[in-house]
Amino acid sequence: MNHLRHALRVFAAETLKQHRRLFGQPLVVFSMLVWPVLQLATTYYTLRPVATASRAAENWPLAADPERLLAFLATGTLAYAFFFSLVQSAWHLSFERATGTLELLFLSPAGRLTLMIANGAGALLQNAWLLTCFTVAALTGFGTLSVAAWWMYGIVLLALLVPAVAWGAFLNSLLVFSRDSAFLYTILDEPLWFVSGVRLPHFALPAAVQVVGAVFPLTGSLLAVRGALLEHRTVSDLAPTLLGLGALSALLLAAASLILRVGEARARRTGALSLA
Amino acid sequence: MPTARATAWRTWQMTRRAYPWTYAVGTVLPAALTIALAYLGFHAIGGGEVGDDFAADSGTTAYLAYIVVGATAFQFTVRLILWSAKALITEQRQGTLGALLIAPAARLPYLLGFTGFAVLSSIVEFFTLGLVVAALGITVPVSSVPGALLGALALIAAVFALSVGLGGLMIAAGEAHISQNTVFIVLGLVSGFTFPRDYLPEPARWFAELLPTTSAMDVLHGSFTGGQSLPELLPRLAVCALLTGAYLFIGLTWLPRAEARAAERTY
Repeated sequence: MNHLRHALRVFAAETLKQHRRLFGQPLVVFSMLVWPVLQLATTYYTLRPVATASRAAENWPLAADPERLLAFLATGTLAYAFFFSLVQSAWHLSFERATGTLELLFLSPAGRLTLMIANGAGALLQNAWLLTCFTVAALTGFGTLSVAAWWMYGIVLLALLVPAVAWGAFLNSLLVFSRDSAFLYTILDEPLWFVSGVRLPHFALPAAVQVVGAVFPLTGSLLAVRGALLEHRTVSDLAPTLLGLGALSALLLAAASLILRVGEARARRTGALSLA
Repeated sequence: MPTARATAWRTWQMTRRAYPWTYAVGTVLPAALTIALAYLGFHAIGGGEVGDDFAADSGTTAYLAYIVVGATAFQFTVRLILWSAKALITEQRQGTLGALLIAPAARLPYLLGFTGFAVLSSIVEFFTLGLVVAALGITVPVSSVPGALLGALALIAAVFALSVGLGGLMIAAGEAHISQNTVFIVLGLVSGFTFPRDYLPEPARWFAELLPTTSAMDVLHGSFTGGQSLPELLPRLAVCALLTGAYLFIGLTWLPRAEARAAERTY
């Protein structure tokens, strides 16, 4: 019990730190509102020639209606922004390496995994509320939402939040122990949208890409979010996806914990903050 | 010219030694993924066809070739801006801007040195992209070789002209991340890289006309998939040249003031 209270205090402190650092920054407004909206427009227009093809409606019924296509892409943008804000937060955490505060973190008695989770969660709450408001407004305005029950919104939020935080903890642990974090940032930014079906339905992706995509929790989150918001799915319809997401999140947290242990043990022995 | 050559050589040495892969992957990957996205959508959703309005607005049904030209040109634009516009703020961040300002080297050749390096290194990166395009089996028709060459030159000049002013803005504001990404995303949306501009609402189309990259892209698309000959491309080339000249003039006039502001803020 005492242990848990300690972890919660560390969590609150780290989240507050992230809040103070990010809140009200112009970067948050741009990266979570202006850029995603403009990017959404670019993606929509780039795919429009394909969606207006004469055979598009039989391949993908959703494509026939421009508003539903836009809603499909908007949910993709929303979920991607959730996950991307964590890539960004992990990238910021790697600055602690450069400024020398990472050693202080490791000297403190705070739980390592708790710190990593809190860092991601703090960034997420800061960043994603803006885009969530926008997307909900846009989707309700279009009248393209098809939701089975009001509490499905809660399921949607959980299906985004839990895997995103696990993903954030995993990325944070990985980036803390790597020197060229900008490189990982590039690698994780672009392919993430591609393999997870952010801008295309899953059936359009080749099998190999789908297999790779299954490793990323964004894939499952998107299936759940689109199923619940656009396709009138109930919890029992989505149960396999949600269970898979839960298992994947647990796996990511376990991997993060392992990376932190291995990395710290190595740092103690060699003095180098790296995994290999 | 010695300044330009020395700058380009220094940048090459630095990139080769410190970040051999970061930039190459950062250029090839986004363009390759955009092309792959269009390829998958074209086959799985469009069933190998595109809508009639695309042919009407772009003058071609070769959607994939259109995307290849557009995505490559866009990545090239991004790369060029990252090198040329960020040159001065990089000096500022590394603490060498003061030394650069008092050095007896003019700013124009210095910036041209960065652009020269960016153009040469991007050409190498685009050979890699060519392999991706070939692997997907996309053929890009060329209707006018001189038009394509002039179009590429126009795009380089247009982006350079934009970069001069943007570089000044960055050192005056002491900020690069927000300004550069906003410029990339706005250019990608309005300048007609990956879709015909007629899709956009009227005000956005007018706004696009103010950017020199828009007319440069008209020339490039026209000379590849558009089936236009050189005389047909000349009017848009002239527009591009005019706008490029105007941007360059404004940028070079404003740059000394931006430098003064940056220096006063630092010391």
